[in-house]
Amino acid sequence: MRLLLGLLLALLPWLPFAASALKPGEKVIVLNSGEGTVSVIDRATRKVERTLPVGKEPHHLITTLDDSDLVIANAASNDLVFLDPLSGEVKRRLPRIMDPYQLAYSPDGKWFVSVSLRLDRVDIYAMPHYELKTRIPVAKTPSHVAISRDSTMAYVTMQDSDEVVAIDLAAHKLAWRMPVGKTPAGIWMSPQGLLFVGAMGRDHVEVIDPAKRAIIASIPTGRGAHNIFPMGDGQHVMVSNRVDGTVTKVDYRDLKVVGKPIRVGAGADCMEISADGKELWVTVRWEGKVAVVDLTGQKPTEYIRVGRSPHGIYFRSHAPRDR
Amino acid sequence: MDALVNAFESAVGWLLSEAVVPALYTLGLMSWVEWAHEATAFVLAGALTVLAVVVILAPLERLRPAQAITDRRHVHTDVIYTLVVKLGIMPLMAFAVLWLVFIPLERWLRLQGYTPWSLEDLIPGLASWPALSLLLYVLIIDFGEYWRHRLQHRWNWWWQLHALHHAQQQMTFWTDDRNHVLDDLIAAFWMAAIALAIGVPPAQFPLVLFATKFIESLSHANVRLGFGPLKHVLVSPQFHRLHHAIDLGREGARRGVNFAVVFSFWDKLFGTADHRDAYPATGIRDQLPAYGAVDYGTSFLETQWLGFRRLFDTLIDRRVRR
Repeated sequence: MRLLLGLLLALLPWLPFAASALKPGEKVIVLNSGEGTVSVIDRATRKVERTLPVGKEPHHLITTLDDSDLVIANAASNDLVFLDPLSGEVKRRLPRIMDPYQLAYSPDGKWFVSVSLRLDRVDIYAMPHYELKTRIPVAKTPSHVAISRDSTMAYVTMQDSDEVVAIDLAAHKLAWRMPVGKTPAGIWMSPQGLLFVGAMGRDHVEVIDPAKRAIIASIPTGRGAHNIFPMGDGQHVMVSNRVDGTVTKVDYRDLKVVGKPIRVGAGADCMEISADGKELWVTVRWEGKVAVVDLTGQKPTEYIRVGRSPHGIYFRSHAPRDR
Repeated sequence: MDALVNAFESAVGWLLSEAVVPALYTLGLMSWVEWAHEATAFVLAGALTVLAVVVILAPLERLRPAQAITDRRHVHTDVIYTLVVKLGIMPLMAFAVLWLVFIPLERWLRLQGYTPWSLEDLIPGLASWPALSLLLYVLIIDFGEYWRHRLQHRWNWWWQLHALHHAQQQMTFWTDDRNHVLDDLIAAFWMAAIALAIGVPPAQFPLVLFATKFIESLSHANVRLGFGPLKHVLVSPQFHRLHHAIDLGREGARRGVNFAVVFSFWDKLFGTADHRDAYPATGIRDQLPAYGAVDYGTSFLETQWLGFRRLFDTLIDRRVRR
């Protein structure tokens, strides 16, 4: 049985759907937040090659602006770990970053923002030396962050006070705050300058016009709408819905759902979409798995067992994050 | 092993997606979902541990019993203790201590600019060896348990709670969780204090955690088993039965023998080990007719209530004497 499985796995890269836009030997990096490890998966064979310890409670990851490093936020170890995004090797560790949950760099390269979920704070660091500039107290349980394209504002969702706050990066202060739907989580800014917020306590994504500080639309995606990842085609995003365990395609220009939600599993969370928009990888947190979804065929084609509570996920040839 | 972990995670996922999370969603408590994940895994692991322990130890107790069970009512009480504690009280206590004390304290420390440190900071390179790191954590926690147990026997007020555990004269593997709820609460605080001092273990090694729990249950089992030379490392049923013996339990200058919970070498190290080859009757001296025939209760509620009473009386008595 094992032999047969191995043979099938070895043959997988030759299958047409897997061959599209796939660099040979490309690695998928998955953060197992519940056990402090990273799973390094060969994207072509779908095999976990290595599992290495990185620190306690790694939840989210981002790449540096030049794409040279993958930055992992270890919330409970109070540090950042820099990985080689191609091999998954640990390059260095940056200590004394207090309770980093979600991270963002401003597009102009001046600022680094670390959201501290447990301490109710948003920390702003000046680049390139990660020099702590200010710690901004915010209401309750800051969760995800998006930075405006002109690098002036950081928008952060507040999971327990049901609001979105805007932080003026240069002035180091809170600019404004506005109430949104219950338990807001994921946040993404469209090229049109609109904010898309997953209302985890409800079943929709809220669309906010930050200029007007108003909710201009509400798109029903599924119960527990959580995270939002662009498909890179300038038209669509994928939304994960944690309660329904589905992912939903949304047209962010017309502000409407496209097609039917795809069932992926319990606690669908962070996603990575291939550059050609055909393949989606999503962490299935409560089952300790990663699902590979064929977006053309509209169904999961594979489940890969990783560690406990897998959260952030990354591979190099992903769809652009800004459109 | 992989298949087992896989099945376990799938079961947790199923429970969450079919019952727990929809309930949280309806109640507007989606922010608690990570905690619900932990709690579900904790309770399910507890249930599976009980199941595995029963499957392995029940036949063993039949095969080589150390004593004849004459009053099943006391064993039934311990069954209730096991279920209530493993599936209810323990997760609740852990949760209460975590939320009321540990998290606010850690948060306060962090806001003062103090980053809580851990074993990994103390020993360079340890972070790359999670298995070794876990072994160190288990050793230190067990060392803490040895000393907590010593104090339970040393301090009279604390003994009044712990006596409930020792009053079992029909000791079986079910007896492990027979403790006063106040004692469970103190244990949770004790554990939280250690966690604050050395950090939390890095990774989940289900087999290791199960093994320690299993040894604790096995040590109470009504079975003739001494572990041979391994008795100098791990707590065997014989070693722990001596701890529960009427003539040894709270006697002598050190108020007893064989206090260790998982690793028996702590007793050797601190001069409290007793490796004699015997399977004496268990209980407390004052339960015997000649010593006052003190009643420690039969049912769950009765044993709890009498524990409160004894503690209260001891504290009042101390005040009067002063």
